[in-house]
Amino acid sequence: MSAVATNPERTTRALTLLREALASSPLELETAGAGEGRRVRDELVAQVDDYLLPRLRELRAPLLMVVGGSTGAGKSTLVNSLVGSEVSPAGVLRPTTRWPVLVVNPADLASFEGDRILPALSRTTGGPAGAGGLELVPSERLPAGLGLLDSPDLDSVVAENRALARQLLAAADSWLFVTTAERYADAVPWELLHAARERGTALAIVLNRVPDDGRDEVTGHLREMLARNGLEEAPLLVVPEVQLEPGGRLPAAALAPVRHWLDELAADADARAALVRRTLAGALASIPDRVEVVERALAQQVATAAELTHDVESAYETAHDEIEQAVTGGTLLRGEVLARWYDVVGTGNLMRSLQTEIGRIRDRIRSAIALRPRAVAEVEAEVETSVEAVVRAAADRAAERAVSAWRSHPAGRALLADAPPLDAVSTGLPAAAEDEVRAWQGDVFDLVRREGAGKRTGARLASLGVNGAGLTVMLAVFVHTGGLTGAEVAVAGGTSAVGQKVLEAIFGDQAVRELAAQARDNLLTRVDRLLAAESRRFATLLEPHAHAGDSVDRLREAMAALGAPS
Amino acid sequence: MSANLDRRLEALAQALDLAEGRLDPALVDAGRQVVDRAGVRLGFGVESTVVALAGPTGAGKSSLFNELVRAELVDVSRRRPTTAQPSAAVWGVAEPALLDWLGVRRRHRVEGNGSAGLVLLDLPDFDSVEVEHRLEVDRLIELVDQIVWVVDPQKYADAVWHEQYLRPLAAYEEAMAFVLNQIDLLAADALEACTADLRRLLREDGLGHARVFAVSARTGAGVDGLRRLLADKVTARAAAASRLATDVEVAAGRLAPHCGTGPRRGVAAADRKALAAALTAASGAPAVVRAVEAAHRRRGALATGWPPARWLRRLRPDPLARLGIGDRSDGRRRTSLPGATAVQRAQADTAARKAAAHATDGLPEPWPALARSAATRAEDAVADRLDRAIGTANLHVRPPRWWRLAGLLQLVLAAAALVGALWLLALALLGFVQLDDAVPLPEVAGLPLPTLLLAAGALSGILVGFLAGALNASGARRRARAAQRSLEERVARVAEELVLAPIEAELGAHDELRSALDAARSPGPRGLWPLGRRGGAPTEEPAGAPSRSVD
Repeated sequence: MSAVATNPERTTRALTLLREALASSPLELETAGAGEGRRVRDELVAQVDDYLLPRLRELRAPLLMVVGGSTGAGKSTLVNSLVGSEVSPAGVLRPTTRWPVLVVNPADLASFEGDRILPALSRTTGGPAGAGGLELVPSERLPAGLGLLDSPDLDSVVAENRALARQLLAAADSWLFVTTAERYADAVPWELLHAARERGTALAIVLNRVPDDGRDEVTGHLREMLARNGLEEAPLLVVPEVQLEPGGRLPAAALAPVRHWLDELAADADARAALVRRTLAGALASIPDRVEVVERALAQQVATAAELTHDVESAYETAHDEIEQAVTGGTLLRGEVLARWYDVVGTGNLMRSLQTEIGRIRDRIRSAIALRPRAVAEVEAEVETSVEAVVRAAADRAAERAVSAWRSHPAGRALLADAPPLDAVSTGLPAAAEDEVRAWQGDVFDLVRREGAGKRTGARLASLGVNGAGLTVMLAVFVHTGGLTGAEVAVAGGTSAVGQKVLEAIFGDQAVRELAAQARDNLLTRVDRLLAAESRRFATLLEPHAHAGDSVDRLREAMAALGAPS
Repeated sequence: MSANLDRRLEALAQALDLAEGRLDPALVDAGRQVVDRAGVRLGFGVESTVVALAGPTGAGKSSLFNELVRAELVDVSRRRPTTAQPSAAVWGVAEPALLDWLGVRRRHRVEGNGSAGLVLLDLPDFDSVEVEHRLEVDRLIELVDQIVWVVDPQKYADAVWHEQYLRPLAAYEEAMAFVLNQIDLLAADALEACTADLRRLLREDGLGHARVFAVSARTGAGVDGLRRLLADKVTARAAAASRLATDVEVAAGRLAPHCGTGPRRGVAAADRKALAAALTAASGAPAVVRAVEAAHRRRGALATGWPPARWLRRLRPDPLARLGIGDRSDGRRRTSLPGATAVQRAQADTAARKAAAHATDGLPEPWPALARSAATRAEDAVADRLDRAIGTANLHVRPPRWWRLAGLLQLVLAAAALVGALWLLALALLGFVQLDDAVPLPEVAGLPLPTLLLAAGALSGILVGFLAGALNASGARRRARAAQRSLEERVARVAEELVLAPIEAELGAHDELRSALDAARSPGPRGLWPLGRRGGAPTEEPAGAPSRSVD
């Protein structure tokens, strides 16, 4: 810790870095350690803001002693009695202290007035502070060199009070922890005592309202408990249960142990400095372990986000495969579109007799297509409907798979709970799919037009004209690998058998095959784009949690700057 | 009371059976525990009333216990926490099995003074560092008939009590009473303020009618009011049933938000139609319909066509036979219809999902998902079932009776033409060998008979063939329409069975679950709280102790 003494600036810089890294650490995914991680992160940020940075800036500033404890433990009565006037309201109603009251010697007023400590709380003097405020009370009765802060209850029914109490405790150079003979075994304050031990905060314990008949039993038991929890060094100041003096003060005799301890501390600047150093060193020493908790939580976030992303990706990959299979498996258009195509090229009973005379068929195709543009449009529409139907069903199933994968995970459940329903395709998908297919058809015609100008295209395809060639290429995409049999075509189309040879002759053409391969890639790229838009609905939910990995790096950097291995 | 509770428990059990596998298993398990617990508790009879003293450490539960029992049965100590094991004080006799069930081993018998049947438990604290104590409290407050919370002026505002116990238990207001102990430490005005503040906090917890007793276990002040309340509870013998009724209500209330509230929705007619259309397309029915038409024409032509032209028809195979659909298929053989294309399957799938989504519109999760998975569960079986439905459909392809007549007529006409032809041939042959008169040549209406026979036979044969062809064409269309109706009906039946019925089943489960939950939650005609609010007035006695202030 000599580093702190010799180079507080460097430590300050490193802490500022650390604070920023912590504050921007996303821990909102509901993982097992997220709650713990958030708590530690927020506490650490608050401690850096409220304690470490102010203390490092001014190592010799007066000591801030926070009086904390359970509701009804007698904190305010103790402070009032020490100061000798009613600075903090005490009474039977809980919680009594609704805002923090800081009592200081007038000489120290200046160092507490600024925003050196607890910058988030606005200061008031001479009157009650409102929400988010801190009342400053100068008092001659308090020795110079330390401020006494009466904090709200740790276990108050008012949640803001609880949060404030924890914040104040994190800002303290030292705690004066007040409990009573009745309360000393309560679970909530012990949690905070453990936190104090972890943070290395110097601690003194006031055991209030100890009845005479149980004094030894209770103090003995409390000492035992302190020792068991590694807090045996904390001074235990016992205040007996006595009748209060008028004005609600403790009699001087009862208060003597506390006052004596405070006076000693106030008189001894070295002891004060040692206490400050101890808490500072303890706080700094506690950082690596706590940052590690945050880091672990961040690692969980990264892993969970990756898992959720993977769920969505694999759901949509499956969709992609399904669509690709439907498109290239030769089953997409086996019925409808091919039947239309035969209509277009005018096959029928005639076809059978012309099986071997491909050249004449080609002529027929050309003339038919040239003559029947309406039929071409119909085939185009069929292609559109077919592709859209397949994409839609696959995307539907993918959404369902992704949602059910997310539902099985608490983090995924939480994300889905706040989102609009995602277990079906987005409402815009059918229209978007139509647009994409239409654009694809346009691309195919462009392709044919472009290629047709060159010499690569076979004469056979070129002879079909742009419309016919485009249509043929489109269909070739869908029947590429399909082992289409004449019977099936006949059944589906209601036409008589058309020989496989016809199809082979037309779709087996080298130029058609090459163009079809290009057209297929183009179509699958468009399908991927549609699916990507669909899966982005999930990715958007994960977006805010995506930077956990960067935060880990930044935390490591800051820890390295702090000179402590993380 | 008990009959009413039995009815509600039954309704809850029924609701849980329906919720099993559908709603959150944790909720269902919690509900089952309520039903099981109620069965066990009612089995012990309502003659005993189990009252637990619960509270934070140091509030004086044990002191109050001793005061109520009027004996030092349990240790009171300065050391915190004091009570680790629950103790029971039994007025009169109680079923030992009841105490075994409660898991209370330390038992004391109290000679009854009018409270026979009271079982008073002194629970451990719930807020100390000892976690086991808390677990014991959590276990027991699930089981007891009445909880008396004991707090003191120091601890009445503890967050742990209000947030983790009272707010979740707000529905059990009738089964709880509140004791502000140690009032001997407060001045009269402080006591009043303190009680009012406790009431305020209780109101914020949702316990606006809570019974609050200000007592001092040390001086005995105010304890009588609490005694009276307990005596009333014991004599009314309703505390157990009342608590269990609240259990049922809470368990049902937790499930209720997972059901819809609006009017019942079914599968929309439009969705039904769309699904049938998609499945019809996927089933290959249109191809079959076309085949029926073609087959009828072909068979008609074979039966009634002009015999010399029939051979042309024979060259093409029978369209129905090619699909593997016989006239009377037994359905055990698969048809040779091509499988549904990816598009048709996709359209059928989408139609099923749409039907499910619309049918559960407005219902909370998981019902839309349940309906969707119900609608798509039989996806793999659909193709097979459709095929069988098509294969076994009555396609109305039986040959009409007039075909035989027409066929006979064609034969007669063909025979006549043949006779004429042979006659002419004979004449020609005989003429060739100059035997002109060997065969007679009668004339009818100025035309030679053989010529007439040949011409009339052939012409009328062709004419009949045309007429029959026209008749067959319209017959084929009629049959196609009939086949279509029949096929559509069968496909619709498959849709109904494999897709729509499962959706309706889920909707039916939802409706049943909802009405079972309603039944479980409704107190019934006799009223939920027969007990009234006797003994509810808090007794505030001035504290005799020296005035102290606790901050």
